[in-house]
Amino acid sequence: MTVVKIDEVTKVYEGKVTHRALNQLSFEVEKGEFLAVMGPSGSGKTTLLNLISTIDSLTSGTILINGINPHSLDKDELPLFRRRQLGFVFQDFNLLQMLTVEENLVLPLTLDGMPIKEMESRVQELAARLQLQPFLHKKPNEISGGEAQRTAIGRALIHHPALILADEPTGNLDSKASKDVLELLSGLSREEGTTIIMVTHDPIAASYCDRVLFIKDGEFFNEIYGDDRRQTFYQKILNVLSLLGGSVNDLSPTRLP
Amino acid sequence: MTFRQLAFRNVFRNLRSYAAFLLASVFSVMVFFIYSMFIFHPLFEEEGFRVLAVRGMFIAEIVLYIFTLFFLFYSLSAFLQARTKEFGVLMHLGMSKKQLNKLVFFETMILGGLSTAAGIVFGFAFTKFFFMVGREIMQLEELPLYFSWKPFVLTIGAFASLFIIISLISVSFIRTKRVVDLLEGFWKTEEEAAYSPALSAFGLVLLGVAYFLAATVSDRTVYIMVFIVPPLATIGTYLFFTHSIHTFLQLYKKRRSIYWHKTRLVSLAEAAVKLKDSAQMFFIVTIVSTIAFLTVGTLASFTSYTAEFRQSNPLGLIYVSFEGNSLEQQQLDQLRRELKQQQLAYTLVPLEVKRQTSSASGNDVDIMSLSQFNRLAVALGHEPARLQTGEAMFVPFSQESLRELQKSYAETELVESGVELTIDQTYPQVLFPAHTLNANTIIMNNEDFGEVDEPLMGYPQGASDFRYYAFHVPDWTETVSIGENVRYPISEAMVSGNFAGLNYYFENPGYEYRWFKSSFALLLFIGLMVAAVFLLAAGSFIYFKLYTGLERDRRQYQLMVRLGMTERELGKIVNRQLVPLFFLPWALALLHSAFAFISLQVVWDEFAELSILSEMAIVLGGFTLMQILYFFLIRWRYIAHLKA
Repeated sequence: MTVVKIDEVTKVYEGKVTHRALNQLSFEVEKGEFLAVMGPSGSGKTTLLNLISTIDSLTSGTILINGINPHSLDKDELPLFRRRQLGFVFQDFNLLQMLTVEENLVLPLTLDGMPIKEMESRVQELAARLQLQPFLHKKPNEISGGEAQRTAIGRALIHHPALILADEPTGNLDSKASKDVLELLSGLSREEGTTIIMVTHDPIAASYCDRVLFIKDGEFFNEIYGDDRRQTFYQKILNVLSLLGGSVNDLSPTRLP
Repeated sequence: MTFRQLAFRNVFRNLRSYAAFLLASVFSVMVFFIYSMFIFHPLFEEEGFRVLAVRGMFIAEIVLYIFTLFFLFYSLSAFLQARTKEFGVLMHLGMSKKQLNKLVFFETMILGGLSTAAGIVFGFAFTKFFFMVGREIMQLEELPLYFSWKPFVLTIGAFASLFIIISLISVSFIRTKRVVDLLEGFWKTEEEAAYSPALSAFGLVLLGVAYFLAATVSDRTVYIMVFIVPPLATIGTYLFFTHSIHTFLQLYKKRRSIYWHKTRLVSLAEAAVKLKDSAQMFFIVTIVSTIAFLTVGTLASFTSYTAEFRQSNPLGLIYVSFEGNSLEQQQLDQLRRELKQQQLAYTLVPLEVKRQTSSASGNDVDIMSLSQFNRLAVALGHEPARLQTGEAMFVPFSQESLRELQKSYAETELVESGVELTIDQTYPQVLFPAHTLNANTIIMNNEDFGEVDEPLMGYPQGASDFRYYAFHVPDWTETVSIGENVRYPISEAMVSGNFAGLNYYFENPGYEYRWFKSSFALLLFIGLMVAAVFLLAAGSFIYFKLYTGLERDRRQYQLMVRLGMTERELGKIVNRQLVPLFFLPWALALLHSAFAFISLQVVWDEFAELSILSEMAIVLGGFTLMQILYFFLIRWRYIAHLKA
């Protein structure tokens, strides 16, 4: 089943210098798939994510999520669509500092006015799955980066969205925490059928995915599918990246997990 | 870019964040300057009523100066703390601490120069207008605009010294921590307040006790309470904002069915952080607003006194002549002549008053005859009184005494002359002002009055009698200049407390009315401007607090949009954050003032019967309206900035 269908999407930024950030990009994401989007800086990764998140408008083309075209919704329906169908994970976690871990988790549910019982049971379930129980009552500034990112993933999952969008989720984490988060995400897609689109620079992070989509200057460049051995997949990704060019900085030093 | 240019650009490119602060300081300078223009006015060097104006304004200037000092101190320290990160960057780039101090000093002086200059320019522009208002209030022939260096020098000198003091102090606010700490910025942590349930309960108890004492104050205790209640209320307010509120919020948060409901989760948690962040500011704003309310409310309540003035002073002029007064005929002739010159119609009723001791109370009683009394009553347009032999009637001296006397009944004997009387009636109107006759004054039938022929015990024949000349003047407010030289010795004696050698008493209610009215209006005029400065300053604290948190709030806003909050929900959250910020200190200040006015009413009751309720309602209602307008203005700007 196709969850996300991107069809000929083009985004042009008007201004003093007109800039074509995305050019006729098309791809699909199946249910339960864990897709990585890679590309050098300025290739349009973030623009793509913003378009799928519906917080930016399209110049042309269509985006369908679960058969719905969010860009055709009016301004009252759009927030409801985002809060029910989408979950977000960010590089800098973006947890609300004044809420506890538990409160951050239930935030999407409270907006929909769900009964307290149901919210509590979902928190317990997720906390067990994400190993968050010990710090449910702590504030975001009292926990480590890995724990904060797991909280953010929990917040993205709690309302059972159709699609999770992750923007460099390991960008601010050390290698151990990165590994935990990536294993968590790939586990979610494999075992629970969660659909995830992740934008990343990091070939190691991408190697946890089922498929890697490369874009360059806003256009489709290549895509490769993962196999059982992550090491070989990682090598393949590095090969494509070297073909892709970009700057040296985009390539991580070869640190195999 | 020179070093000085850097300072200039720092100020001028951040003008938006300084906006409310500048507005408040410019206004403060402006008011100070206008007062100075009044004080140095060449016409004000004379004696009399204008001395009150000069003194009032001088005190107001001192109050303004001290308040502005504290206001600048608090505001600038907050500005500097908000700019910690910027200073971190500068020091990272190699600026020495000395240079940083110099930079801050320059910036403060620029702000000071800017607000002093703008304040004086606006002040001078508006001086003519305020002179016109002042001329009306003080009933002066003219109050021309003049030009002198004195007000300029005083204002510039005062505020230059103020800003130099503040610049020197503010430099010490930047603590030289490690550059890394500075770079992290000031408001990096968002912990909730550490609060103690004991202290929060104590705060509430203090407030409760203060309110209780204020509400139950009586004539006797009021002067002690003035020293007890304000400190109690101040400490209570402080604890309320630093502890009690957080305890309430914590209790609220424990009830998940309430707390985890739609937007409440975010708005309550956010409110808790904002309240903690601004507890000190809330406290200051509350106290400042309370003082402003009280100033204006008290002064406004004075003006209601004038409305009641006529009721307790129905006579146009009063001349009382005692035994041995050789000036009697001469002065009466003078009064008549002056009334005629001014073309004022009048009726003169001479009343013969005898003084006796009443056996029922043992006190002195002033006695008038029925026929003379009735002449006055009719002249004033009231019904004449009727009395049989052996009957007498109480004469009330105020509305309150009228109510009391109507319940009284007395059978008494006038001890010296042996006349027996039954007193069970009260004349239903107040004819004589309170202090011109004895508190016990009665009217007697003419025959009985004739039988009173003995003087008050211990006085020679005729020495305890006096003549009371009551002038009824329909245009009573026009008598201001009548009998100036007759009044003068009396005013002198009032001030010195020495009535020896004065065998007469003279009162000109028209003059007193004018005096009361003008001086209260003048004090109100002075007080309103000071209160306006206070309230603007309180508003600028709120503005600044919002402005420095804007960057963080904007990030949070963007996150919420992504998480799928609708515009309406965001509007709700913004409202729930702004409403407490604007109206919590406000509501508490209103409550404080309300209780303060309950006490004030007690004090007022003592020497003037009037209710200040309606004046209070107008004053507080007016302020609330202004605050609501300010709230909508700021909300509009704040939401626009959030979405930007």
